[in-house]
Amino acid sequence: MNIAEIRNLSKKYPAFSLKDISFNLKNGRITGFIGRNGAGKTTTIKCMLNLVHPDSGEISYFGLPLKGNESEIKQRIGYSNGTINYYPRKKLSDIIAVTKSFYSNWDDTACHEYLKLFNLDLNKTPSELSEGMKVKVNLLLALSHRAEILILDEPTSGLDPFSRNELLEIFIMLKERGTAIFFSTHITSDLEKCADDIIYIHDGKLIAAMQKEEFMKELGQSGETLEETMLRLERSSRDV
Amino acid sequence: MYKLLRKELKLSASPLSYLFIAFGLMTLLPGYPILVGAFFISFGIFQSFQTAREANDIQYSALLPISKADVVRSKFAFSIFIEMCGFSVMTIMTVLRMTVLADSAVYRNNALMNANLIFLGFALLIFGCFNAIFICGFFKTAYYYGKPFVLYILVAFIIIGIAETLHHIPGLEAVNAFGFDNISLQLAGLISGAALYVLFTLIALKKSIKRFEVVDL
Repeated sequence: MNIAEIRNLSKKYPAFSLKDISFNLKNGRITGFIGRNGAGKTTTIKCMLNLVHPDSGEISYFGLPLKGNESEIKQRIGYSNGTINYYPRKKLSDIIAVTKSFYSNWDDTACHEYLKLFNLDLNKTPSELSEGMKVKVNLLLALSHRAEILILDEPTSGLDPFSRNELLEIFIMLKERGTAIFFSTHITSDLEKCADDIIYIHDGKLIAAMQKEEFMKELGQSGETLEETMLRLERSSRDV
Repeated sequence: MYKLLRKELKLSASPLSYLFIAFGLMTLLPGYPILVGAFFISFGIFQSFQTAREANDIQYSALLPISKADVVRSKFAFSIFIEMCGFSVMTIMTVLRMTVLADSAVYRNNALMNANLIFLGFALLIFGCFNAIFICGFFKTAYYYGKPFVLYILVAFIIIGIAETLHHIPGLEAVNAFGFDNISLQLAGLISGAALYVLFTLIALKKSIKRFEVVDL
């Protein structure tokens, strides 16, 4: 079942354009969103969250258009844009208490489990945390309200290999529960480990949106890893 | 709305916003342009807008399961809350000056504006201008606040200047009424200020929602 549908998304900036991006996200699947820096990943994600207004295109979740159903849809979405970059001097306990009050589905048990798993101290403020720990705070907030879809912008960057591995295991566990996970990353080994589908964009254009195996069959060459395929594709487009 | 206000009070607000409510006590200062107290209270609210921007508050709020209009409403709710706290302090001090201190020599021999209901009307007008000029101007970008605040300072001090001048104009001495003198004129001043406050705030809220809706974060 499609949890999210993105249709013909376009956004023009003076020096960059996102052109006609369309893809679907299905429940119980992990989708990796790849492309080099400046390819349009964050713009796409921001459009998907109504932080940036697309010039054209439609975005819907759970069969409902985002426009007009923003509050209801955001109750069912979890979002993390890498490190926590807000309220640097407020205690995590205060940030969590306030955030929690906005979600009808907030799960205190899950929140405590992730606090323990991520080894987070509620009395600390974001300014006292390392970059990796800040990523975990954001993930904790995104994971604690039983989101049906997680939209994560670079969730693994800044994490140590152990934490990254733990996080990927959490992704797999959530996927088994039916949660859709959509995450952008530069770390292709993360995708090799857990992604079911790959969405690849280059210079604001969608190059591929398909199952990982299909992606490797169509765009990869024999014996190549996902990273090698990506590097080759990026190099060939630069040489053109 | 309670959740939004709680978020503002707990996470976004600068302690100075609360501290500056005490500037309402300036109403008791003799020989001082007491309307400046209203400006200082709004200056405290401005500090919260600064703190909130440094803390990426708008982005955090926009990601909560609320509409973008609610993000704007929360800023207005907080500002109105602080304004009303400050206004309450000013009102209590004004009532003191209108009753037990009505015949006090330091106030009677005061060349500047007297604390009466007209003064309170002007204070509300200043708060209304803060909402209409500063907050509404801020939501044009949800980031830049310098220009709208400078514009607000200009307008606020023009209003203070007018309020301080009015009672020196022949025929308008009644504006500076002591105690309950000219009470209907005083009431008319207060009601006019309150009406303008409500009008300016409602227009500012509507316009800010419209502006913020098209801002890319």
